Amino acid sequence: MPGKSSPRVSRRTILQTIASAPIVATGASAQSPAKPPYQRKVFDAHQWQAVEVLCDLIIPADERSASASKAGVPEFIDDWLDFRAREEGTDLLTAEILGGLTWLDQEAVRLFGKDFAGAAAAQQTQILDRIAWPAKAAPEDRRWASFFNRFRDLTVSGFFSSQAGVADLPYLGNKAVAEWKGCDPAVWAILEKRLSGKG
Amino acid sequence: MQASTSPKTYDVVIVGSGAGGGVAAHVLALAGAKVCMLEAGAWYDQAKQSDMFKWPYNAPHRAAGTRAKPFGYYDATLEGGWEVPGEPYTKARGTDFMWYRARMLGGRTNHYGRISLRMGPYDFKPYSRDGKGFDWPIAYEDLAPYYDKAEELIGVFGSAEGLENTPDGKFLPPPAPRGYERVIQRACQRLHIPCVPSRLAILTKAHNGRPPCHYCGECGRACAVNANFNSPGVHILPAMKTGNLEVRTGAMARAVVLGGDGRARGVSYVDKKDRSEQTVYGKVVVLAASCCETARILLNSKSSRAPDGVANSSGLVGRYLMDTVGSAVGGYLPILEDLPPQNEDGVGGMHLYMPWWNYQAQKDGKMPFARGYHIEIGGGRGMPGAGIFSGSERILGGGYGIELKRNLRKIYGANVYFAGRGEMIPNEKSYCEIDPNAVDQWGIPVLRFHFEWSQDEILQAKHMQETFQQIISTAGGKVLYSAGAETNWGISRGGEIIHEVGATRMGDNPKTSVLNQWCQAWDCKNLFVTDAAPFISNADKNPTLTITALGWRTSDYIADQMKKGNL
Repeated sequence: MPGKSSPRVSRRTILQTIASAPIVATGASAQSPAKPPYQRKVFDAHQWQAVEVLCDLIIPADERSASASKAGVPEFIDDWLDFRAREEGTDLLTAEILGGLTWLDQEAVRLFGKDFAGAAAAQQTQILDRIAWPAKAAPEDRRWASFFNRFRDLTVSGFFSSQAGVADLPYLGNKAVAEWKGCDPAVWAILEKRLSGKG
Repeated sequence: MQASTSPKTYDVVIVGSGAGGGVAAHVLALAGAKVCMLEAGAWYDQAKQSDMFKWPYNAPHRAAGTRAKPFGYYDATLEGGWEVPGEPYTKARGTDFMWYRARMLGGRTNHYGRISLRMGPYDFKPYSRDGKGFDWPIAYEDLAPYYDKAEELIGVFGSAEGLENTPDGKFLPPPAPRGYERVIQRACQRLHIPCVPSRLAILTKAHNGRPPCHYCGECGRACAVNANFNSPGVHILPAMKTGNLEVRTGAMARAVVLGGDGRARGVSYVDKKDRSEQTVYGKVVVLAASCCETARILLNSKSSRAPDGVANSSGLVGRYLMDTVGSAVGGYLPILEDLPPQNEDGVGGMHLYMPWWNYQAQKDGKMPFARGYHIEIGGGRGMPGAGIFSGSERILGGGYGIELKRNLRKIYGANVYFAGRGEMIPNEKSYCEIDPNAVDQWGIPVLRFHFEWSQDEILQAKHMQETFQQIISTAGGKVLYSAGAETNWGISRGGEIIHEVGATRMGDNPKTSVLNQWCQAWDCKNLFVTDAAPFISNADKNPTLTITALGWRTSDYIADQMKKGNL
């Protein structure tokens, strides 16, 4: 084997070095508990309500994790739309999202006489069912199915990239591993079974 | 602004601190030469500035890439990207080219993919093999001892495979493959595509006093413990310990200064902190500013002695610019659904890859394009950031609510992607020159790019698309994104793969090359180039290891010639 392994640098020393490095102390726990309330950049108060409702219809709470709104997804989306507009020099994405929210309100008013956020849960899902499966959407609803794909992407990525989402999946990395062993043998056993057509 | 002069004359002045400048400084300082290195960007201390272990949810916009930081908030490129404020470049009409710069100590070695592939015997003599492009003035045997030295210094893992035109090296043990990689390997076996341990400059064992990798998978953020190759930690800091290397940061090189005898006397530069014009003098000048920046410095070094720029009597400085051919396909493998969670980070990059496998078919005239590519792969339960699960309706059909939430957990880690990295043949239509009408914020004339792919590259991209889709379907998967004829098979934009090479080509004839086989300017014997600008071809093997080996060979030659009093 080329090169010389240095006996002076032990695995333990490295892990201690890593553990004591100040860069590790920047996790969520290091954030100030008195974080100022989020200042909206894109949505108005009415749109905000609809966004919260829609986010939680897409990612509700379950036995494993909280809902999207509890995980800060509406804030993420508001901030993301502002960010993309600045980065791309166009607010087409914002326009698409706001247009979709307007359509949800118009449909809810037309069908139930209430705006989307104010409609009953069953009424909200009745509208979503028309646009949540793009291949099944009626031709006149396809435009809004495409809006919903976009909104679902924002909600889902906002949720699963949050601290709550990372723990939910779970993602088990972003840490020092003393010895890399490759694929977990128990997982590989499942994969081998599937590969052989018996799984 | 007042021009001032450093009175001291160094043995060697090096422009640039990336792979090429780093290796030259390392070899020459250790050989006892007094070296001054100019770096246009700032000092960088990875031990303090690496963003290792930070979380996307603690970064703006979940650490998404921006124009200022294309590889994300935590990427190690502190100042740089395809757009650098105040440092524009221009493009000829009809040219699509993007030029990535990393203005910082260590340059692009801080964030690069660490892929370390030796060029093979065919790669040095491509013209002799298929009649296209040009042969190098050296052969594999000339560089092999320097590949050995480079790998022994920087630390490269891999495995001895004995594959055609894919030379094995001095390898550290490779890391065991991830689950999805073994699944892809099975599919490749059925298709007779070799899928073997990758070769990356990441330590799987303690090496030369540096600790082994801790498998956080984020080499692109720079490694705070120096467990991967990067020029500051492996070349520059050890060289500074000799007391022979002085590094001047914030030093934007303007031109090579010639003496009355036609030899290089030094380098003029702008000291960014006070915008003053400075000159540093050396007995030898080494340019390693990155392929295009090196050409820019030479072309901007105009005087009555060198009306077309220094080292440019051939008129070839800037010519035959190449990048790597890229094309990608993404897919979804149901076999990977709903597996027990495991940490799949591993090293910062793939553990398996596919080297080019059609050399014989090409020799027999059975392929519609010349030259090959290798396949880089990705997938697994990666760190969740901006964009995770984007386009999930293409896998799940759509949905919302509890059912969607459960389905997303099941498909997490089941996406894979394939990226081809292939050889571009040099052509007359791809080059850079000085734009007579534009300067940067330092008043230095900027580059104008011309770039065109040929049918060889476009048909190679087509082959990539077809092959990757075949691997996905063989693994029982579904293609999620791919490209067709309307986009030239998804071929990358020039410069997008960040493998620019060839702008000061070496050769064995001063009329058809800028440098001789020692990367020494034909026109100026004490001027050398150690970045990727001397390359004659751009094999599918990523350039950094060859930059390091070739730069080492050149530096050995410089040290030897200085000792003999020839410089």
